[in-house]
Amino acid sequence: MIPARFDYFAPSTLDEALSLLSQHLDDAKILAGGHSLIPAMKLRLAQPAMLISLGRIKSLSYIREEDGQIRIGAMTTHYEIESSARLREICPLLPECAASIGDVQVRNKGTIGGSLAHADPAADWPAAIIALGAELVATSTNGERTIHADDFFIDMFTTALEPNEILREIRVPLPTGTSQAYLKAAQPASGFAIVGVAVNLTRNADGSCQMIGVGITGVGPKAYRASAVEDALRGKMLDEQTIKDAAAHACDGVDANSDLYASAEYRRHLARVCTRRAIEAALRANRG
Amino acid sequence: MSERTFSVIGKRIPATDGPPKVTGTALYADDLRLPGMLYGKILRSPHPHARILRIDTSKAERLPGVMGVVTGKDAPARYGILPIGHDETAFCLDKVRYVGDEIAAVCAISEQIAEEALDLIEVEYEVLPAFLTPEEAMACEDPNLWIHADRKRNIEKEYHHHFGDVERGFREAIESGGAVRFDRFFQPRVTHAPMEPHACVAHWEHDGRVTLWTSTQTPHYVHRTLAEVLGIPMSSIRVIKPFVGGGFGGKSETFTHEIAACLLSKRTGRPVKFTFTREEVFYAHRGRPEQYMELKTGVTKDGRITAVEAKVIQDGGAYCSYGVVTILYAGALLAAIYDIPNIKYDGYRVLTNKPACGPMRGHGTVGIRFAFESQLDMLAEEIGMDPAELRLKNCLRPNTFTVNSLRVTSYGYDECLRRVIEASDWKNKRGKLPFGRGVGIGGSHYVSGAANSIIRSKMPHSNVSIKIDYDGGVTVYTGAAEIGQGTETIHAQIVAEELGVALDRVRVIAADTAITPVDLGSYSSRVTFMAGNAAREAARDIKRQLFRVAAELLGESPDRLVARDEKIFPQDEPQRAISYQEALMAAIEQGGTLIGKGAYTPPPEAQGGNFRGAGVGPGVAYSYSAQVAEVTVDPETGQFTVDKIWVAHDCGRAINVLNVEGQVEGSVWMGLGQAVAEEQIFEKGLTMNPGLLEYKTASAVDSPPIETIIVETIDPEGPFGAKEAGEGSLAATIPAVANAIYDAVGVRIRDLPITPEKILKALAEKRRRDKDANGHGEKPTA
Repeated sequence: MIPARFDYFAPSTLDEALSLLSQHLDDAKILAGGHSLIPAMKLRLAQPAMLISLGRIKSLSYIREEDGQIRIGAMTTHYEIESSARLREICPLLPECAASIGDVQVRNKGTIGGSLAHADPAADWPAAIIALGAELVATSTNGERTIHADDFFIDMFTTALEPNEILREIRVPLPTGTSQAYLKAAQPASGFAIVGVAVNLTRNADGSCQMIGVGITGVGPKAYRASAVEDALRGKMLDEQTIKDAAAHACDGVDANSDLYASAEYRRHLARVCTRRAIEAALRANRG
Repeated sequence: MSERTFSVIGKRIPATDGPPKVTGTALYADDLRLPGMLYGKILRSPHPHARILRIDTSKAERLPGVMGVVTGKDAPARYGILPIGHDETAFCLDKVRYVGDEIAAVCAISEQIAEEALDLIEVEYEVLPAFLTPEEAMACEDPNLWIHADRKRNIEKEYHHHFGDVERGFREAIESGGAVRFDRFFQPRVTHAPMEPHACVAHWEHDGRVTLWTSTQTPHYVHRTLAEVLGIPMSSIRVIKPFVGGGFGGKSETFTHEIAACLLSKRTGRPVKFTFTREEVFYAHRGRPEQYMELKTGVTKDGRITAVEAKVIQDGGAYCSYGVVTILYAGALLAAIYDIPNIKYDGYRVLTNKPACGPMRGHGTVGIRFAFESQLDMLAEEIGMDPAELRLKNCLRPNTFTVNSLRVTSYGYDECLRRVIEASDWKNKRGKLPFGRGVGIGGSHYVSGAANSIIRSKMPHSNVSIKIDYDGGVTVYTGAAEIGQGTETIHAQIVAEELGVALDRVRVIAADTAITPVDLGSYSSRVTFMAGNAAREAARDIKRQLFRVAAELLGESPDRLVARDEKIFPQDEPQRAISYQEALMAAIEQGGTLIGKGAYTPPPEAQGGNFRGAGVGPGVAYSYSAQVAEVTVDPETGQFTVDKIWVAHDCGRAINVLNVEGQVEGSVWMGLGQAVAEEQIFEKGLTMNPGLLEYKTASAVDSPPIETIIVETIDPEGPFGAKEAGEGSLAATIPAVANAIYDAVGVRIRDLPITPEKILKALAEKRRRDKDANGHGEKPTA
């Protein structure tokens, strides 16, 4: 329960952090809340020789609207998102998802960027970020690039971030409505998702589905977009049977996990039910 | 006992030791820091079963900062909590028997260095086949492979009891047009998960005496075992129990770290501390065993239980611990809640290569109660009777001896049942709520202190002494361990009531073996009853001394005096009172400091019958509990919520109403945890969920509304009529939930924990079966 020896740096600017990282590509880890990394280090599952804390870089913590996007600094805590009155108004999925994470202590210290970069296959944020079609801004000493949420998660605990990159910002296209929902079947002890489904949709004037994003976490080795569900709904009238039939495709092409808490079969079943219910909840949530 | 009003008994008294806990100033074992203190760590086995060929600690000893290393050869004496189960040594001598078994301990100037040193200890093993289920273990005919050489086919103990004639009972049930059922049930291994991990500090001083501060429920048993293992007299050892952050049975015997701390302190001349990680708490374990149960029960058409035949196999893990008690409790206590004329019991305690099981809240009774109370509901359905009604028809009477010679004194189970039936609106709910919602009932009971001690001795089980000096403060010395269950407050209330003084005059000094008299400890729910009686006796001793003097001052006979509200006065003449302080001063002027003592020894008639194993099961009294659970099940996912629990607990008399409610609610939470989530899971002998992020225990935030009803039967022998309140309500929660789920969706889960996935599978099977039955209304018996 004692981490291996490591060096600790807490730079006050992002440039300093990037420069430190570029000098220690192989042995440095970024500390951004520490609610996954520190336990892993205490169990010696992770033994980085150096920690670069982003905790003192105040400029990475914000929620603002710019260029038709909601921009969230990577070091914004779960609690800051959960408690944002503005987000509740314009993108309720984000505070709803934040509120379902861990417990009060975790939400007060844990950050959205830290969680996304860690890419735990049962974390909540990835589902929401995919459903919202967000872009993630990665920065390094060589400059910046944006990565679409769909391309960000590569595998269990693996993202598209290069070793020299730091996740700086999350950009969410400003939703045009509030038909959003996050529904989770949680592992009872940890609160992590056995299945978590995030839905973001808009409807045409005739009530048919104009756009829909469905992100699912917890089921497979990484969070994913349930494209088959989306395809089965786009342009369709959203009646009960159509939603149910679409939700049946929630795990198409996904190799479901089996663990101490749920078999693969049960996970797939839960994913279908949760997807249907999340879509129904999103429809109910519309404040039009 | 004549009914009268009390000053502090029967009130809602906040815990007297509460303020330091909630303000964070209470000192637990890990908070203790002594000058020069070293930190200890234990090397544990990575194999479930292996011979130790060689241990080389030389590299570890050379690591800078390491001050000492000990292994099995430093303390080879065998010990164990039961005289018939001396199968442990401080460290493994020849074999390791589970993943986590102790091999060596290191102390160093920092925890980090101690941990690093563990990696430098070289151990060469010859890996042996591991027995991971009782079935595998009992099938082994090769003595060379048995976990303990003297335990044939790995059976720690087996018992075969037959009281009455079960065959005759089953015949009677059938002939009456009633029902006989045979069912199998399973209880998984669950663990106590106290908030505070095990921790201790030992200081071996230059005079050859050692002091051990340790988080324990049983300072006296630790004291005895240390003397045996360290080879020094008990008088050279002082065991002090600091604040304890929960035990639930998991700290009821001597553990390796306690011995290791003493050995390493002796070697280094410096204090040594050990604090377990959460993972180590799972290895120390001593929790509930996996339990395989076969139960056959007969009831007559009019709902009378005629016979019970039970077979229980417990997977006890690698050492005996309290295991013999666990397997006996599972059988013996079947007789102490319902009136059952014929009982046959076959119990097997089996050794396996997993952490040792031991006592856990509701010791031995919990799994079998789940099975029995589930089966009662199935039988009720077969004979077309309301399950609550069936329970009411089979109640015992107060002041009876059961078929297996248990002495039941006060008995309030019937009243508990009636109270929860009424409070929960049972009659309008059971079988009448919409699909997906249901109510279920369950009952349980527990000994209020075991009538026979673990150590074979005729000594009193509890001793309490009291000292009062010029300051008028009443100091109560008790060996009983306050572990969060409220016994300090109970002692204070009993003494204050008996002496007629204000509660805040009383200070309780608990569990320091150099200062406090012997008490067997906080297990088997014995403290309120036994130490409470001893405390009352000690207070009476003091009172006699005060009354002798007061009688002179008042010109009265001492036996006409009463003490109340800080005054002493002749019965019915309060206007003639003299103050407590005045009487005290006069008494001290005559003979110096007032010292009183009291002791409690269980009466012989409570100590059970005359057959092999008869000593375990007899309690000096029994508590009773009935519960109703209401649940909502989502038939599409199997997910469910427990929406409310009604619980009635017969605690004889509630000395502290607030404390009884807290204990009962805590029992319900622990029962709920076991009902819906808890299971220590193994793969090849390795614990797969040794942490609270993986192993779910129920806490306050998971609590449904609980309506707690206290039933007072005023036990003839309990202090002020009190019985236990801390354990008896746990077991009923589990079958109440299982039965409620059956009422909600018609499926019966027979292996705990009840998970959404199991419910969903059972629902699918039921649908298939109902379809196969082609609508002919086959009864759901999933």
